[in-house]
Amino acid sequence: MTSQQSRLGGGESVAEELAESQRAISIAEFFEKNRHMLGFDSGARGLVTAVKEGVDNSLDACEEAGILPDIYVEIQENRDYYKVTIEDNGPGITKEQLPKIFGKLLYGSRFHTREQSRGQQGIGISAAVLYSQLTSGKPAKVTSRTQGGEQAKYFELIVDTDRNEPEISREETRSWERPHGTRIELEMEANMRARQQLHDYIQHTAVVNPHARIELREPDGRFKYERATDQLPAETEEIRPHPHGVELGTLIKMAESTDSYSISGFLQEEFTRVGTKTADAVIDNFRDRHLGREMAWEPPRTHEAGVESAVEEAVANKSAEATADFADRVATALDRERVAHHEVVEAVDSVAEEIQVEYSTTFGSTVRGNAVDAAWMRLTDERESDLYVLVDAATTRRKNDAVVQALATRLAAKFEPGDRHRVTRTTLRKYVDRAADMTEQHDDATVGETARENILTELWTAARQVPDDPPKVSAVADDRDTASELLEAMREADIISPPTGCLAPITSDLVDAGLQKEYEADFFAATTRDASVHGGDPFIVETGIAYGGDIASKGKAAVLRFANRVPLVYQRGACATTDVIKNINWRNYGLDQPGGTGIPGGPVVLMVHVASTNVPFTSESKDAVANVPEIEKEIELAFRESARELKSYLNRRRSMQQRQQKQDKLGTILPEMAQKLSVVTDREDLDIDATMARIMNDVLVVREREHGTVCLRVENNDDRNVEPEVTEIVETDTEPELLDDTEATVVEMDGEWFLKWNPTVGSGETATLRYTADDEADCTAHVNDIPEEKLTNGART
Amino acid sequence: MSTDNIIDSTDLTDTQAQLLDLADRFYEQFNEGDVPRLEIPTRTKSNIEYDEDKNVWVYGDRTSTRSAKSVGGAQKLLKSVYTIEFLARQLEEERSSTLRELYYLSESWDLDEAQFGSQDESNQLVEDLEIVTDATREDFHMRPEESGATVMGPLEIREQTRRGEREIHCQEDVGEGGYQIPNNPDTIEFLDNDADFALCVETGGMRDRLVENGFDDEYNCIVVHLKGQPARATRRLTKRLHDELGLPVTVFTDGDPWSYRIYGSVAYGSIKSAHLSEYLATPEAEFVGIRPQDIVEYDLPTDPLSDSDINALESELDDPRYQTEFWTEQIELQLDIEKKSEQQSLASRGLDFVTDTYLPERLSEMDIV
Repeated sequence: MTSQQSRLGGGESVAEELAESQRAISIAEFFEKNRHMLGFDSGARGLVTAVKEGVDNSLDACEEAGILPDIYVEIQENRDYYKVTIEDNGPGITKEQLPKIFGKLLYGSRFHTREQSRGQQGIGISAAVLYSQLTSGKPAKVTSRTQGGEQAKYFELIVDTDRNEPEISREETRSWERPHGTRIELEMEANMRARQQLHDYIQHTAVVNPHARIELREPDGRFKYERATDQLPAETEEIRPHPHGVELGTLIKMAESTDSYSISGFLQEEFTRVGTKTADAVIDNFRDRHLGREMAWEPPRTHEAGVESAVEEAVANKSAEATADFADRVATALDRERVAHHEVVEAVDSVAEEIQVEYSTTFGSTVRGNAVDAAWMRLTDERESDLYVLVDAATTRRKNDAVVQALATRLAAKFEPGDRHRVTRTTLRKYVDRAADMTEQHDDATVGETARENILTELWTAARQVPDDPPKVSAVADDRDTASELLEAMREADIISPPTGCLAPITSDLVDAGLQKEYEADFFAATTRDASVHGGDPFIVETGIAYGGDIASKGKAAVLRFANRVPLVYQRGACATTDVIKNINWRNYGLDQPGGTGIPGGPVVLMVHVASTNVPFTSESKDAVANVPEIEKEIELAFRESARELKSYLNRRRSMQQRQQKQDKLGTILPEMAQKLSVVTDREDLDIDATMARIMNDVLVVREREHGTVCLRVENNDDRNVEPEVTEIVETDTEPELLDDTEATVVEMDGEWFLKWNPTVGSGETATLRYTADDEADCTAHVNDIPEEKLTNGART
Repeated sequence: MSTDNIIDSTDLTDTQAQLLDLADRFYEQFNEGDVPRLEIPTRTKSNIEYDEDKNVWVYGDRTSTRSAKSVGGAQKLLKSVYTIEFLARQLEEERSSTLRELYYLSESWDLDEAQFGSQDESNQLVEDLEIVTDATREDFHMRPEESGATVMGPLEIREQTRRGEREIHCQEDVGEGGYQIPNNPDTIEFLDNDADFALCVETGGMRDRLVENGFDDEYNCIVVHLKGQPARATRRLTKRLHDELGLPVTVFTDGDPWSYRIYGSVAYGSIKSAHLSEYLATPEAEFVGIRPQDIVEYDLPTDPLSDSDINALESELDDPRYQTEFWTEQIELQLDIEKKSEQQSLASRGLDFVTDTYLPERLSEMDIV
């Protein structure tokens, strides 16, 4: 009641009342209330996040300085609290920067750059400090020694949440055994319930950073991950946005803040991959959108009704000679297939300049204007026949004459004689639609979507681009519509993909090495895709698969997700990478997957890494990659590439296993059978090697020779064709002669004859390769293109 | 199998040689570096064809190959070699064993891979060996499990038994049960007979009825008890009664599709033993009844046809072996009345009806008496 009345009494005073309680809140305060957004929602998770932020910072610092990272993480139980220590061998931090980096939120070097790095916003480590001070009341203890620094600096600090500034409680110089590096100690209320996630994070970090040595010591154990390579990730460069990836808001902001005056300069300065040529292409598109094109018409071909007479009539008060010459030259200049308005202006201007000089008379703007108008009137007097030709060309044969004529007449009516006839594609389309609709209505004809589009294209192509300057950058910044036209023009232009120097993919070799380092598996595959673009930011997707060996075969596959080399351990279900994995039919690639969707099962580890100058996360805590279609597509393609390798490995393994099983079985059965046969028939013991070879080795090569003829028999017991390359080396003085029309090359070298065949031997068939040679001649056969385990070469000597 | 040396097929060396011959073939295949294999006629319904000359069903041209190229094939061949060894030794020692004993015996063989998985497998293997070696299982001294059926009638025979020769009159020297057919009826020599025909009877109950009523005496008939699907020995003896003594053979069974198949196996031979049809089948055997026609004419007590009965009848209509006017007519009639009757349903007209009325009427219709 009261509040109602007071409100009724005077709105202003209420507003003032309210205004008193309205004040800016510091970012630190905001996050104090919203710690979950940064991954500090529980004690268990807070610990993992603090470690993660610290390690990410350390890795970034080391890599930037070109140092192979040595990172040490320790978690100690300290009564009710946990003490987290993260130490690195990075370049160290200067005395001036240090308090801000750890004690001020949103302080960082990366937010404004387009470059791949782990941290981006400058929130992480200071948020960990904030979390620590909020839960334990203890300051963060930071030690740092820069390269070459005599001693280390030591700070104890907290975040002043009102001002979002560091508050230093202790500052001193200390000696430290490390030559350079940084160490931070945080005490916080926490628990080890998320031990698994912590281990995962550290292990996955080791997988994806094979160049780092990482050690974790926690109350229950000690884990050490050694370096697998001395190769640091490629250094990244900062890049400008790519024209295909910016959004309207960004474009307007960029236009507002640029120093460039012209669009061309703006495009070339502010965007990557834009040179003069690309800028011109964009500007042409932009002009078409912003200014439109001018319709061009065929000049009248008859002398009486021609341009010349019109111009001659329009020029007054000039000598007859000059007038005639002027008219003649204008007409000649315009004697083209089609002429647009600006071309008339151009022609009149240039001819007028010539005449002025030659005849020493002035052809001023009035005269020129009259001449242009007169010429243009004459040109645009008759438009129907021009349009008829265009419409006819666009609607080949399908429309009869009357319909084409009707369309041409209606279209012609849209262009007033004498106007400049400047239209955008959109306007032109409206004309076509209107004409088509009328024709459908009155002439009982159909003009479908395709026909309309064809007519539009024909007319648009016939129209001339205008020479006018495009609007300036300021116009783009001021007007949303103009900016939107420019954006469309940029998207339409063909522009090469952004450079990938700003990205540091792990590279497939190191993905492989990283997986091999941490998993005792039988098979590894790694794929690094080419760079793609999303929202102006280039990105690269990498995937890896490890299969078999010591990987647990029960349950679902382990999925390792990474963004810019940072393991993502939480919110797996919300991540685009998981969605993609679930939607791939892994059964096609030989993995278990009940129902054909979901995470596949079996002894398999799936790894995916998204590297980008700006990885789109679902939230500030950077746990899950957002569902951006471009990224999802690349993830899928990358996985499919790796999975194809897995499939062929599994197929190969399966058939080798079956082969092995068969060999083992037959290896027991056949010798027993042979032995029994010797007993039953009372004959000598059998040698069954040849039989075994014939059964197990699918291709058998044997040599038979008789009376100067050598016969190589290639017997194929496989269930598909084989095409072996059989080379027979014959030591003889006389040239061997091929028999039976077999195709072979015969080459002599140092008294040896090389006979080479490439027979195609069908399943279950035998190829016979015959030639003549002394029964005494030494022969050696080599067989290529048959896997060794599938070949028995009985003709080696 | 050569029909002319049936009598001396007990010649051990012959069968032994045939078995060793097969072993030799395998040996040679190994020796030449070839893959050991065995080719045998495909033993399925689709590879059975009618031999117009001999009036029996024999295997067609299609063959299948057991090859050591596959593990399964190699295993089969290994078992074959083991079995060959066993049979050769058995012949040498002049002993015999049953099919079931062979199956259990395989348990003692060294290699697990050589052991039989089921008795069907060992039975089949012996049949394979019969086909390949052109001998019979009796030549191998292998006996089936089922005891042979019995014979009762005016017939005098001499049987070679383990305890010497026995001369037996199949009415005077035997009890009510009759003379038991030995597993190898080729050890029997016919001495004398006073018979006009042979009557093969499906069920034990009917056989006993005929004997009790003195049918064999009255009509000079040799009553052969089939005991359901007849054993090889029963079929062989029946054929010899026909071939050697020139006796007409008649078959008296229940009136249902399964019993028609019993007649079929006596007259035409079975698919499983088609390689022996020439030796076991009696194409001249005639069917007495119970015909579906009898069910109608004598108004016999009936059971309704079950679904499987109907299926069996329909499949017989398609079976080339039953493509005669007689069978087509009878089967179609049965499908029409949807009824079947047992032999013993004749008792509904009195215990003597079968011997006094039914059989004399039917047999005279068939010109047997």
